[in-house]
Amino acid sequence: MDKQVTYSGMIWLLAAQLVVMLPFVFHLPFWLLPVVLFAAGWRLWVLAGGAVQPGNMTKLLLVGLGIGGLLLSGLQFPSLEAMSALLLLGFAFKSLEVIRRRDAVVVVFIGYFLVALHFLYTQTMLAGLYGAFSLVVLTGAMIGVQQVVEEFSAAQNVRFNLRLAGVILLQCLPLMVLLFVFAPRLQPLWSLPLMVDQAKTGVSDHMAPGDIEKLSQSDELAFRVTFKGERPPQDQLYWRGLVLNHFDGREWRQFDDAYDLERLKYAAAHEYAFHPENMQVLGDPVEYEAVYEKSGQPWLFTLTPALKVDGEVLQAADYRVMAAQDVQAPLLLKATSYPQSLRDVQLDPYVRQLALQLPTGGNPRSRDLAQRLRAQAGSEQAYIDKVLARFREQQFYYTLHPPTLGESDTIDGFLFTTQRGFCAHYAGSFVFLMRAAGIPARVVAGYQGGEWNAQGKYLTVHQYDAHAWAEVWQAGKGWQRVDPTAMIAPERTEQGLEAAVQAEGSFLENNHFSTRNVAWLKGLRQKLDAVQYGWQRWVLGYDGEAQMGFLQALLGELTLAKVAVLVGGLGGAIVLAWLLLLGLARRGEREALEHQLYRRFCALLAKRGVVREAGYAPGAFALQAAQALPTSAALIREFTQVYEKLCYQPDADGQAAIKRLKALLRALK
Amino acid sequence: MTMAVPQLIHATLAQLNKVILGKEQQVRLALSCLLANGHLLLEDLPGMGKTTLAHALAQVCGLEYKRVQFTSDLLPADLIGASVFEMQSGNFRFHPGPVFSQIFLADELNRATPKAQSALLEAMEEGQVSVDGTTHRLPSPFFVIATQNPQSQAGTFPLPESQLDRFLLRVSLGYPAPAVERELLLGRNGRTLLASLPQVLNGQRLKALQSLVPQVKMTDTLLDYIQRLIAQTRQTDVCQLGLSPRGAQALVKSAQSWALLQGRGHVLPEDVQAVFVAVAGHRIMGRQETQGEQLARHILSKVDVVGNGRG
Repeated sequence: MDKQVTYSGMIWLLAAQLVVMLPFVFHLPFWLLPVVLFAAGWRLWVLAGGAVQPGNMTKLLLVGLGIGGLLLSGLQFPSLEAMSALLLLGFAFKSLEVIRRRDAVVVVFIGYFLVALHFLYTQTMLAGLYGAFSLVVLTGAMIGVQQVVEEFSAAQNVRFNLRLAGVILLQCLPLMVLLFVFAPRLQPLWSLPLMVDQAKTGVSDHMAPGDIEKLSQSDELAFRVTFKGERPPQDQLYWRGLVLNHFDGREWRQFDDAYDLERLKYAAAHEYAFHPENMQVLGDPVEYEAVYEKSGQPWLFTLTPALKVDGEVLQAADYRVMAAQDVQAPLLLKATSYPQSLRDVQLDPYVRQLALQLPTGGNPRSRDLAQRLRAQAGSEQAYIDKVLARFREQQFYYTLHPPTLGESDTIDGFLFTTQRGFCAHYAGSFVFLMRAAGIPARVVAGYQGGEWNAQGKYLTVHQYDAHAWAEVWQAGKGWQRVDPTAMIAPERTEQGLEAAVQAEGSFLENNHFSTRNVAWLKGLRQKLDAVQYGWQRWVLGYDGEAQMGFLQALLGELTLAKVAVLVGGLGGAIVLAWLLLLGLARRGEREALEHQLYRRFCALLAKRGVVREAGYAPGAFALQAAQALPTSAALIREFTQVYEKLCYQPDADGQAAIKRLKALLRALK
Repeated sequence: MTMAVPQLIHATLAQLNKVILGKEQQVRLALSCLLANGHLLLEDLPGMGKTTLAHALAQVCGLEYKRVQFTSDLLPADLIGASVFEMQSGNFRFHPGPVFSQIFLADELNRATPKAQSALLEAMEEGQVSVDGTTHRLPSPFFVIATQNPQSQAGTFPLPESQLDRFLLRVSLGYPAPAVERELLLGRNGRTLLASLPQVLNGQRLKALQSLVPQVKMTDTLLDYIQRLIAQTRQTDVCQLGLSPRGAQALVKSAQSWALLQGRGHVLPEDVQAVFVAVAGHRIMGRQETQGEQLARHILSKVDVVGNGRG
């Protein structure tokens, strides 16, 4: 075991290290990569005889420098990142002191662990494929460091090792699938603070000028939806995320106090609780399944109002659906919505108070306008129509580049001066006008529309589909959705953002890497996306619940015995296939009976301390054994004679000899 | 044949061992080589008794014996003879060279040029020589004992593998045991005994013995073992040069011959093992220039004697 690693073995190891560490560059301090390159270069330099093996002091210094670097990189201690970075650092430096095979095997094993670790950061299909590639290279390195003689040319060596590694891993595949499908999904026993300072993407918990503008420049995926039945028309796809009740004169927030998830969860269980009984369910249901991308926030996006929601989610008085924790990994949700329902037959006083809140001062012209229009209009509905008509008839423009509005009286500035903006401006000012006239209203933030993937028959919703709209409550009608943006830019809700800003050309204009502007790539992109979605739904989405569902569909009522028989059967089948295909069961043809007897004879003597070396002929062995075991000498000699005669003398009497051999064997025992 | 085969063999070996002291194994190998109708290559330092052994063999077997010291200026004609013009008859007459003998000792074979070597090697293989378009049969039995000095390689032409293959066995005599050495120091000289050595065999008897060798029986189990050995020499991770089919035949023939010398009508694995190093040592070559002999011993210790796989 303690052989030295050959030069080609070392190259294999370094290559594998590089392959394993490469994807971490996106998640951990980037300077770890140069460190591994540096260590690899040094090692090769040593191997080529250009330098000596670094001494203990040098190593200590390097480790000190590395840890110092980690501390300076702004990683939090203790956190998963810091631990991973430390492990990677050790992994990079380890190559400096790999001399013997034992060290190399340690490096390869850490490499396997790092491949798994990388899935904590990303679980896309690409990452999965890369992980598989890393496994092949690592296994190739494992083979490489075991090779003693360099028999092949470099190219042959690479091909041979990779092929062998691939074959080895392919053999493991059935077992992997079995474990994936049947291994119980256990809750973690402990957890480290995972990625504390997470980047949050998507709709945020407040709406200030500029927020949605930024989102509109991102073509990142927000979520994907599969509909069970008919797909609702595009302009009905309002994906409610959260409701912004509180306006402080500049930005819209959910409540007057700052956002805190725990506080919100408490409110959703008490004063802000969801009351389905305060709703009159009408119309046809829309059943769908959505997979939300990691966002670092708890918001989930559903059609309003969503009833029958699966999984660990919360619902609140404003018909929102949200996850119990920030979404750090793709999350699957099954929901049924009844879009034509009458929501909040009775308006809860607390909700009413929230929906009428306005800052005490500011925006005098808007308040004045509201008073005037309300006085002119005979009913609330007439007032709403009047306000919308005003948006439609006056010179309002839909643009992703609105002029800045300053710090105060932003509603006034927008309504009377600039008159340019996008959904956030329209929704915000509309709700302001409603409230100023005493009509309960609120801003809803979420996504609108989505791109239909005809390949996979599902809807993809991207960050640029982020949208804000308004809701007003009227007695007898409940909450009704009003989208003032649709007044100014109807194509926004019908065809999406791209169509709405086509003239302006501002769709993803700052996102130069986006392939979304390349028309001919669209088919390919949709196909790829369909594959990705399948991966998410069937691989990442296969959690404990899905597993239970699958097993129940397969076995009916679940009992431990049934599962054990199934898993045992499949496992046994895999082992059997290995034995048959790899020839492990074919350990030579069955030997003739006399040889079996002779081997038993040898085993007997071996137990008594006389071991036959393979190259010992029976006669020679008999001499040795008889000398070592004088008490059985006669038996040993006779057994050997009979055996020799049977094997090597032609026309010996087989039957009699075998009988005699058996008898002698019994006597020896 | 007046004597039974076992006694004949016993007597022959006894006589030979009188001359070459303490080398029963090598003497047996040399005799089994002769019985198997093969040629013998003695590789040893000068003064180890190579010539004495050859001489004793000739004497005991009642064969005609000639010896040539090979040098770099030796010509083929010096070995096989030449046609000489005879004034009296006005014809060319063939004067046979020393190779026309029953036991031919080629001393320091590797000192001669490849041309001279190959002249001898052709004679060994064909049993005849061709001079000026006329084919002359060599006497029968024709047995070549060649010696080689493995040490000083300066000014030598080492035999290529193809020619080494012509020799059935390669044997080294090695240093004598201390007791034997003492006798030698005390003035015992094998050579002087040579003259008084009785002739046990003659050409006819030798031929009769040789005809017995192929009749020595081999069972399937034994042939399995032989094939396992051969297969092992052909394993590329062990050997660079494996045992050729001719080498394999040589192994079987020598084992049969050895079994006959043991007075047995069938071959045992021990017989195969006894001749294996002498047969394979000069025919196989290891990966890292390992000595063939060493490698052959290694293979013997590795390959299981018991069982019926063919490797």
